[in-house]
Amino acid sequence: MARPPRRRSPGWGLILASCRVRRTGIALGVLAGLGWTTGKVSVGLLVQRAVDRGIESDDMGSLRMWALLIVGAALVVGTFTGLRRYLAFREARWIETDLRERLFAHFQRLHFAFHDRAQTGQLMSRANSDLQQIQAFVVMIPLTISNGVTVLAVTVILFLTDPVLTVLALGSLPFLNVLATRFSRRLHPAVMGIQQESAELAAVVEETVAGVRVVKGFGAEGVQAARLLTEADGVYERSMEAAGVRATYLPALELLPNIGLIATLGYGGHQVLDGQLTLGQLVGFNVYVVMLIWPLRMLGNIIAQAQRSAAAGERVHEILATAPVIVDSPSGQRLPPSGPGGTRGTRGTRGEVRFDAVRFAYAPELPVVLDHFDLVVPAGQSVALVGATGSGKTTVARLIPRFYDAVSGSVLVDGCDVRDLRLRDLRRAVGIVFEDTFLFSDTIAANIAFADPDASPVAIARAARLAGADEFVEALPEGYETSIGERGFSLSGGQRQRIAIARAILADPRVLILDDATSSVDPTKEHEIRDALAEVMRGRTTIVIAHRPATIALADRVVLLSRGAVVADGTHRALLDTSAEYREVLAAAERHTAVVD
Amino acid sequence: MQGGVDEQDKLDAEAAKHLLRRAASMLRPYRRQCIVAMSMVVVWTATTLAGPFLVRHGIDKGIKARDGGALDAAVIGYVFVAMVSYVAYRFQVLLISRIGESFLRDIRVRVFDHLQRLSMPFYDREKAGVIVSRMTSDVDSLQELVQMGLLMFVSNGLLLGVSVLVLAVVSWKLLLLCLVCVPFVVVASLRFQRASNVAYLDVRDGIGNTLSQLQEGIAGVRVVQAFGREDVEAARFQLGNRRLFDAHMRSVKISAWYLPVIELAGLLTTAIAVGVGGWWVHTGELTVGTVTFFVLTLSNLFEPIQQLSQLFNIVQSAGAALNKLFGLLDTRVDVAERAGAVDLPERGDIEVAGVAFAYEPGKPVLADVDLHIPVGARLALVGPTGAGKSTLAKLIARLYDPTEGAVRYAGIDLRNATQRSLRERVVVVPQEGFLFNGTILENVRLAKIHATDDEVLAALEAIGLRERFLQLPQGLHTEVRERGSRLSAGEKQLVSLARAALADPAVLVLDEATSSLDPGTEVVVERAMTRLMEGRTVIVIAHRLSTAERADLVGVVAEGRLLELGTHSDLVALGGRYAALFATWTGGQGGRDGPELLPSP
Repeated sequence: MARPPRRRSPGWGLILASCRVRRTGIALGVLAGLGWTTGKVSVGLLVQRAVDRGIESDDMGSLRMWALLIVGAALVVGTFTGLRRYLAFREARWIETDLRERLFAHFQRLHFAFHDRAQTGQLMSRANSDLQQIQAFVVMIPLTISNGVTVLAVTVILFLTDPVLTVLALGSLPFLNVLATRFSRRLHPAVMGIQQESAELAAVVEETVAGVRVVKGFGAEGVQAARLLTEADGVYERSMEAAGVRATYLPALELLPNIGLIATLGYGGHQVLDGQLTLGQLVGFNVYVVMLIWPLRMLGNIIAQAQRSAAAGERVHEILATAPVIVDSPSGQRLPPSGPGGTRGTRGTRGEVRFDAVRFAYAPELPVVLDHFDLVVPAGQSVALVGATGSGKTTVARLIPRFYDAVSGSVLVDGCDVRDLRLRDLRRAVGIVFEDTFLFSDTIAANIAFADPDASPVAIARAARLAGADEFVEALPEGYETSIGERGFSLSGGQRQRIAIARAILADPRVLILDDATSSVDPTKEHEIRDALAEVMRGRTTIVIAHRPATIALADRVVLLSRGAVVADGTHRALLDTSAEYREVLAAAERHTAVVD
Repeated sequence: MQGGVDEQDKLDAEAAKHLLRRAASMLRPYRRQCIVAMSMVVVWTATTLAGPFLVRHGIDKGIKARDGGALDAAVIGYVFVAMVSYVAYRFQVLLISRIGESFLRDIRVRVFDHLQRLSMPFYDREKAGVIVSRMTSDVDSLQELVQMGLLMFVSNGLLLGVSVLVLAVVSWKLLLLCLVCVPFVVVASLRFQRASNVAYLDVRDGIGNTLSQLQEGIAGVRVVQAFGREDVEAARFQLGNRRLFDAHMRSVKISAWYLPVIELAGLLTTAIAVGVGGWWVHTGELTVGTVTFFVLTLSNLFEPIQQLSQLFNIVQSAGAALNKLFGLLDTRVDVAERAGAVDLPERGDIEVAGVAFAYEPGKPVLADVDLHIPVGARLALVGPTGAGKSTLAKLIARLYDPTEGAVRYAGIDLRNATQRSLRERVVVVPQEGFLFNGTILENVRLAKIHATDDEVLAALEAIGLRERFLQLPQGLHTEVRERGSRLSAGEKQLVSLARAALADPAVLVLDEATSSLDPGTEVVVERAMTRLMEGRTVIVIAHRLSTAERADLVGVVAEGRLLELGTHSDLVALGGRYAALFATWTGGQGGRDGPELLPSP
């Protein structure tokens, strides 16, 4: 914990680079801070002069002058307090904002394999709580510098007045700094502990509410109540630990300045009696000791904060330094143009897909999924990939739009190696419907037009019609402008699926991939999608991954995969007759399709 | 951090008074600690003022009177005051935290217990997110008050009052002059408090939006890349992110004008104290010590005002939260246990007599249902979605009470049965196996908390799942993680069935799953289900015709009524709805036993 900041860790590098970009604003903030220091420090001197040269010398003209000068100092302090705060926060928030944008843009570019490993929550906290830590540090830069200068200036002034009294009055104050550092360092984990316990408590509440049917069904209210009690006790204990830390440090932090004030009164008072010190100087000491309390406590916080920020900066840096693996090749080859009559889905549009001795594993240490995999899908053909979980069918589908790169061998679309194509062109040519339909919280129109935000309403409606989504969308009160998602209209699984299909075919891709697109649909509604699929697949190279026989039967050809290899290849009928393994896979799925609804 | 509160959640004076009284009554068990804590606060406030007062004494009676003894007495007094202050501060932090945290713990437990007692109609009415937020964000804003604000709020208020009082006693004339700045400070504070509340809510919304955009961008990253939309999404994110920046800046601007006002007021007052006070020293009305006392104490005047205006938002949002929590505690429990409720016998038939049910008055979901299920019989309910078949099943399990008529078990109206015996006799197994964070063992044990390991194993054995779970690397101690994410859908259903087996009820209410499982698990689930149903009265909401075919009784529920009731063959012979359903199925599938794998029309 108490490690001193290491020499230029990557975390510091990131923070310093960000600060360099905003150096003008930060420098202005520091200047405002120094203005504040000047005003603040002069107040003590002015009070001292007012007492000595005004009150004690009984010179009322002089007293009025010093009093007016205090008013002037007040205006300076007021102005610069505001400016310092404004500038410090503006720059810190800007750095936070900018880093968040960079992180987001980087997340969008990082390859699938990165996202497979990363947890959403982790990435979220990089772009949220870690940036908060960095922000909290940057905001303290102007404050810390002006506080430091204040402490220095006051010490010098007092030392020139009376060195012994200075040591006595300020001697205890460095401990304020030490204590504040220790306080902040001990309170932080305690507060984190409370947050952790609160999150666990929230998890119990959340799952109890979500699973209320189970809880009620089994009469398990007591079980859950006992779990909650444990968590509530946990929160209580952590909170009392934090309270213990506060109770230890806060009174001590208050006691230390009091020691300074007592020393000033005792030793300083006798100095005045002995004629070594003026009364004004004594009052000045008092004012200064009080003035230094907050700057010293803040200086204590900065060390702990700097360490937290450096750690946060390191985590952010780690992400920004991860290079995307799937990038455009320098050659940037273009796909050959669509064949004759290349309008929507007519035969003649190209879209040949070829796997040539492909070997693939998700990571070097993970088992090989495909080895020497060969497959040719002629342009315009629809192929159903069938096989048990782990047979490699999803992997095959994900290599075509180059979500991953093959370890060896090559994947070709219309004769071009996918690694040689511009990613934009390739992904425009290959449309995909994922197993879990992810729609964005936006309008239906915007979701369908995802591949091409400039698509005309006519094009959107055409895609919806092809996907069999037009009827239910048009029946909605706001039609295509209906917002979906969290706060919007909730659609059924089948409806979401059809919008995802419309999204995939809006750009009229040469190759369409349907990755288990019907699995999450209620079997009673499946036929609605099936009709749409038949229409979409007509004359287009389509690769469909499916479990349900009725969907499989839509394809021109069926390829049965097992452990990353093709074990049977032919029409649905032919495989039914010849492959026992195929019949087994289908029979298992069939048991589920008959529904009385 | 400062809190904030939405306009519609603000409390009027009357409601606030009521709220305070109720909160105070919850604090009654901690009455003695409250008194001690309050006296600590008073002592601490007194010591804060005693310091400058002793400095005044030292200057006037010691230095000015050239009396070294009086000066030393003041110093010794100060040492004593500092020690008392240390002790009082320490105990006030500890005591107020203990009271506050205990209060929070009590309210967490009470609210949760009440939530547990509330019945299904409540959960149907309220959104899950809103219910959870009572226990999370609302309690959190109370926690914020307890940890950050309560002590400061109490001690600052007291400090402000006592400071004014003491300054007035020392020199009311000088105090009046010093108070010239106060109206400005008060006006500025009121404006700040209002403006910062708005700004806080703005920032909160901005953070919420940015986080949900961020979350969506990460969760949907595969779709974004598949459609080559990386740049568009980054630009969209930037837009929202900049809005958050602007909200932050608005909030900073507010404090950037407010804090200088406070600081300015403090220093101007110092100038007045020195200038005017000095004049009065000259005229002999005041001592130098008094002027020093004013200079040192004036900081006690404006700092509390500033902190109070910042704390006010926290206090307000905590009040709003407490109000919502009390509102929840006041929600009536619909399905409560009657006084003199009796235990249900081990076995009994089920009778549904003239039952009607409506979620909302005037909109009946079910009406005129009469039904008798003999002991050990199996009833399959079929019908279109939303026609009322699952409502009927839930009425039989008394997750709801019928609006008319009665459901009886062994002749006892379920409303007269004890909740405990009811849950022992009648168990509901929902469609999807819902799992809680914990091990498989803990999840199964949910049905019977005191069951021994052997009893759990026996229950698993009874439905043929013992081997299946023990072959997992950590066996029954496998952690299922949040919502059982570590298990497959099928395995979750198996755990759910194991629960029912452990509960060993006389009556089982099953909701058949509609979504498909992987073929291997499917067989195991079906076998376990069959074993589980043996020897029990079963009500199953059927989605598959084969289930209905195997049942002793079939009930067709449609349009809120039980339209047909009889055995499978009776109903097919009857030629009604069931027969029609059966005909489309057999027709559409081209024969039941040899699957004809053609797309259905």
